[in-house]
Amino acid sequence: MISEKILDIFKGAIKISRADQTELVCESEEFYLTRFAENLVHQNMGRSDSTIWCRAAVGKKTGVARSNDATREGVAELLKIATEVARNGNDDPNFQSLVRSERAPKCQGFYKKTFDYSAAARTENVAAIVERAKSSNLTCAGTYQTSATTLCVVNSLGTEQFDKTSEYRFSLTAVAPDGRSGWSQAAGRDIAQFDFLATAQRALDKAAYPGDAVQLQSGTYTVILEPDAVANFLLLTAFLGFGGKTLQQGRSFMSDKMGQAIMGNAITITEDPFHPAMQFMPFDYEGVPKKKITLVENGIARDGVYDSYYAGLAGKTSTGNALAPDNNYGPYPKAMVMAAGNSSVDDMIKSTPSGIYVTRFWYLNYLNPMKTMVTGYTRDGTFLIEDGKITKPIVDMRVQQSMIEAFSNVELVSGEQRLIPQYGTLMLVPFLKINNFNLSAT
Amino acid sequence: MANIEKIAQAAIKKAQSLGASYADCRFVETRSESLGYSDGAPEAVSSTVDAGLGVRVMADGAWGFFGSSQLSEKEAERAARMAIDIARASNLVNKTPVELAPVQAYKDDYKSIFKIDPFTIPLAQKLDYLANLDRLMAQNSQISTRSASLDFRKTESLFVSTIGSSIHQTIIHSGVGIELGIAKSRRERFMRSFPQNGGQYESKGYELLDEFDFVSAITRLAEEAIALSSAPDCPAVTANVVLESSIVGLVIHEIVGHPLELDRVFGAERSFSGTSFATTDQLDKLHYAAAIVSFISDATHPYGLGSFGYDDEGVKAHKVDLIRDGILTDYLSSRETAVRIRRAPSGAMRADGWGNIPLVRMTNTNLLPGDKTLNELIAAAGDGLYMSTISSWSPSDDRSSFEFGCEIAWEIKGGKLGQVYKNPTFSGRTVEFWNSVAAIGNEGTFRIWGTPNCGKGQPGQNARTGQGACPILVTNLKVGRS
Repeated sequence: MISEKILDIFKGAIKISRADQTELVCESEEFYLTRFAENLVHQNMGRSDSTIWCRAAVGKKTGVARSNDATREGVAELLKIATEVARNGNDDPNFQSLVRSERAPKCQGFYKKTFDYSAAARTENVAAIVERAKSSNLTCAGTYQTSATTLCVVNSLGTEQFDKTSEYRFSLTAVAPDGRSGWSQAAGRDIAQFDFLATAQRALDKAAYPGDAVQLQSGTYTVILEPDAVANFLLLTAFLGFGGKTLQQGRSFMSDKMGQAIMGNAITITEDPFHPAMQFMPFDYEGVPKKKITLVENGIARDGVYDSYYAGLAGKTSTGNALAPDNNYGPYPKAMVMAAGNSSVDDMIKSTPSGIYVTRFWYLNYLNPMKTMVTGYTRDGTFLIEDGKITKPIVDMRVQQSMIEAFSNVELVSGEQRLIPQYGTLMLVPFLKINNFNLSAT
Repeated sequence: MANIEKIAQAAIKKAQSLGASYADCRFVETRSESLGYSDGAPEAVSSTVDAGLGVRVMADGAWGFFGSSQLSEKEAERAARMAIDIARASNLVNKTPVELAPVQAYKDDYKSIFKIDPFTIPLAQKLDYLANLDRLMAQNSQISTRSASLDFRKTESLFVSTIGSSIHQTIIHSGVGIELGIAKSRRERFMRSFPQNGGQYESKGYELLDEFDFVSAITRLAEEAIALSSAPDCPAVTANVVLESSIVGLVIHEIVGHPLELDRVFGAERSFSGTSFATTDQLDKLHYAAAIVSFISDATHPYGLGSFGYDDEGVKAHKVDLIRDGILTDYLSSRETAVRIRRAPSGAMRADGWGNIPLVRMTNTNLLPGDKTLNELIAAAGDGLYMSTISSWSPSDDRSSFEFGCEIAWEIKGGKLGQVYKNPTFSGRTVEFWNSVAAIGNEGTFRIWGTPNCGKGQPGQNARTGQGACPILVTNLKVGRS
């Protein structure tokens, strides 16, 4: 993993830059992952890499170059390429300037024990889970990863940031002899706080649930979504609506609805990178310090997240949500929290005469983005609720549902929240009980 | 490359000295350029170089892998040590050693076919090309959203292994595409794209751009987007449906290619990408498709995005019959998975760059052409629908069922195209779908479509795959609207 010496390399490169403005970013990662299936470790790997981005601005022209050569010579070459890209480019009338930021507060999300966790330690944990699964006649598949990341941003306006985080992620699919499965996952910064057996047991219990899976008819159902399923919806909802680019282009479901109700009043969503469960990198890829943003408050649209480019277009200031310089998605919230309610999962089930309990969704994809309509499947633990009790497993069903409509039909929100990792994000989300949810037989 | 070979050899020698029964080392350097133009302004213009090496070892019968972006003999030896430690850790769980199918040693130099190296074309010329496409789209004042993109990639790799292989490969890919749209309101937009959604990618040089008539395509797409803005929703019916070839390409990818990845069949992707309904007990028995339907995996195709000389464990590219005359006859496989069904590996092990373990991936999965023109397929449909250009896809985790959305559909009445429908979808079950194929387009309708972003594995890996496809007529397909 790269050290703070990269700051000196970057500052030296910026001194010789011929661009009007220059930004250098380095993201360095030590990544380890143990992957298992059929009760065996089938992939076990490590990787050490650094990605360097240079963004050069020449007048209204910008150019980005990326490499993984973090040497002084490599960075100098990258600067040359980015400047060439900018010089040969066309004017971008919307580009205003890079941003000068003060030093962000120190990140609280690095734990040496997570960074030092060995392949042998991960595999010993997997062995314990496999033994437990075998004793219940189940088969296991999953992943156990640990990583440490540094992020460094320096620009010619004086911004200078450097910090590091650690992370563990774990997922398990337990499979019964008849093919039915159960799922659980967990993530966090400090592996010393991780109870892997408790997390694993959730998946094992679901796979071992007795009875044959029954096939239900297509229809609208009351559903209780586990946090994984809620996070599946939240990730795609955010992509369609919470970023400054979609807001600016009028493609967001919030574009002309700020201050208006867009979801049920039980739903409050914030971008909260400093939440104790998140402990996120305290600045973004432009070096702008992150802050808490209220996106939806009691169902009312409040704000989006911005980088400097889209903040400039919207007449706002950046919220510290820039992605890497060569992305074209625009700003994105990577640390969302859906506020807890005051229900319990047991209360949700007890109050449901007829419904479906959903562990997670699979392969959600937009069918009609303007309506936030998605299609996909339930997966790895879907159960029938009858007369206030879970009674039997059901065959997985197809989801065809507007996500905003679902968040408008929320009846209960749990007090319990779980931290769910998906792609480069972490989401802290509760269980939701939702009425009139569209599911169809496959 | 001589210095790189020395570094790679140092890695496998170190692995052997530490007790590896097998080791390989892959050096990969990828140079890419990505250029976009959106609504009159350049967007995400970037140039990338990424290089490193990955060492894969078998120690005490288990796999270990370590990748590093630092290119020196010392770091290569460290990577080998790390890989050995990781492999030995695997043995805390694994009690049976992994068996590998034999593979021949090769010393070779492979170069993909191209006429113009895209990296010799000045950046300014490429941006002018995109600006011109943007201007052409802007000529129609009803178009409210427009974007154009170019993407070029040159991959240079070296594979060395303890069985004596030393394989150098240079592969160039190019991609180009446009998308335009009309906003009927803030809540309703109608998009059309060309040559397919996300653009067309092939194993070609800059000459790929000359193969497409963007001028007439833009006129046609604009007319279609305008028609969509006042079109009715696609009816929810069961109908005879003609699917345009780029749709068929993605359908092949999702419900032929993925379910026939043998690692997936054995459960290696159980916790992520999913499993497969096409289990090995059905090999040589399952009527996967109608008798007129055959698919091959063909990494030797000159222009496919999944073309190469050798896969990432040194197996020479070759053709494999996956489905012959409708019957499941083979899988996409690795040395490790092929030996479990007592077959030769199909040569489908591919890794995303240097820092990932190779996985069983598609190469080019090609439908063998039939004998109909597109007009003959439409005529043969009688009354039904014609759909063009995928906009959404969602297969089940075992790939036994699916739903796809498309940008546009036309009514077929009396064998001729009629009115336009918006928001069309089709769904069904995989085996039923392929067994309902009544006719296939001829050689003249065949195109090898590129998918530059196929995701699989943990950590997530991106693969570039090709799908050779023709338009097809499918009977009794469930159609709906999004």
